Amino acid sequence: MKNNLTMLFSKIKGSFTTKGVVIFVSVQLMAIIAAFILFGIIPVGNEVSKITKQFNPEGVSENKLPQEKVALLERVRDREHYESVLKSALLLSKTDSISLLIDLKDSLAILSLKGVSLFQSKISEIEFNQGLKKLPVYLRDSLYSGPFPVKKELASIEKFPVVIKKAPKDTTEASADDAAPILPIQNDVFVLFLLDNNLVIEINQQEHDLAGSKRAYRNFKANYSRFFRDHNFALIKDKNAPSYLYRLKIFIPREEARSIYRALPIKPYVLVRY
Amino acid sequence: MKDNHSKTAFILVTVFTAVASILFSFRKSENMKELSYIFYSYPPVPGHYVSKDSLELEKLLKNTERRITASLRRLENLLPYGPYLIINTTQNKFVLRNRKGVIREGICSTGSYVLLDAGDGKQWMFKTPKGMFPILGKIVDPIWNKPDWAFVEESLPIPPRNHPDRLEYGTLGDYALTLGDGYLIHGTLYQRFLGLPVTHGCVRLGDQDLEVVFKNLNVGSRVYIF
Repeated sequence: MKNNLTMLFSKIKGSFTTKGVVIFVSVQLMAIIAAFILFGIIPVGNEVSKITKQFNPEGVSENKLPQEKVALLERVRDREHYESVLKSALLLSKTDSISLLIDLKDSLAILSLKGVSLFQSKISEIEFNQGLKKLPVYLRDSLYSGPFPVKKELASIEKFPVVIKKAPKDTTEASADDAAPILPIQNDVFVLFLLDNNLVIEINQQEHDLAGSKRAYRNFKANYSRFFRDHNFALIKDKNAPSYLYRLKIFIPREEARSIYRALPIKPYVLVRY
Repeated sequence: MKDNHSKTAFILVTVFTAVASILFSFRKSENMKELSYIFYSYPPVPGHYVSKDSLELEKLLKNTERRITASLRRLENLLPYGPYLIINTTQNKFVLRNRKGVIREGICSTGSYVLLDAGDGKQWMFKTPKGMFPILGKIVDPIWNKPDWAFVEESLPIPPRNHPDRLEYGTLGDYALTLGDGYLIHGTLYQRFLGLPVTHGCVRLGDQDLEVVFKNLNVGSRVYIF
């Protein structure tokens, strides 16, 4: 390996001229710019134009409207969104499944079943990605309100912490088993839900220190990277694939995040109120 | 570039580095997209809103408010009228509440998620079911009719159905509430394990908590398990 590098170095040694360096740097810069256009500008541009066309707004700036009307518009939007959240909650109450409501207004993650709130967790931190941050309030209803089913999920913990136990062979072994109960391993909690409207919701533990195994955390991080990489590969292969994923990240206490993830069924419904 | 070899090597290194940069950028696509949003923005107000005058908007708002009140009332009506019990199987906690608030809360024990393998394809999964369950019955001084797995766990021979060896007195505490399919909310001799997932699917409560739960819940009262 070292020999090969030395050989290559000796071969290109002659190219270390000002011209050579300029060519090299220019090519690298062009490659980076091309990649930025290809993997950044184009997908984002497609998403923005798709949404703009879909809603067909007649581009009127709020600055041109009287202050009173702007305030009224805000109120109408806010109440219409609240109404659609309530309608979705009523719709979900007719199912037998536990669903998740993320209330960004009151910073709460709420589990509910048949209209009854089972569990609430205070959200300590909320993060949006740029796409979500820039999305005007009136367009957010298409991403939030819902209810939206989870299309894909990733988690650093198992949904069902099953512990396999062989039946004891004799009474001595059985009485030894009685002494200490088998408890499942408690790993750190990081969850990612991809909803079918291309909104990614991440539920992360707020604690920075890792309490569980580092291996489980590393596995999750690897799957997390793979998830976004696969999405970008799909974008190359399929033109109809969603070009941009909106990402909402919430942070809640570890044990509460665990309760929420384990309570939810596979492919649950999620509602977001802003 | 002095000779052809040197030139070819230079081109190869340059191309290889450029390809590596593109591949690296692909891996970091998400960051590129985030950065790209600097160049884009959305129109602030959609036309169908702006075209409405203030009076129309006020009317729209009023109608929306009316529908919100109706929806809130419908949601409120979904809450049980009497006391109900909520059980968190992950944290092994319970809350007994009614519409006004919390009556009692504390720790409990729920299913261990142990899969007992007895060989020959015989397996039992000890998990507490999730969902909404009505109380089907209330029992004072319950007697435990031990199922097969209880004998397998103790490595004892399994007696026939309805055999007196299956009956155990005092194990379930002073009271039991039946949820169906053999699942009960009952007391325990193993108070030290309360707060841990150690049961075979039933919900165990401490003696005093069980008494309060038993007295407050009636047949038909709802138990929500998640």
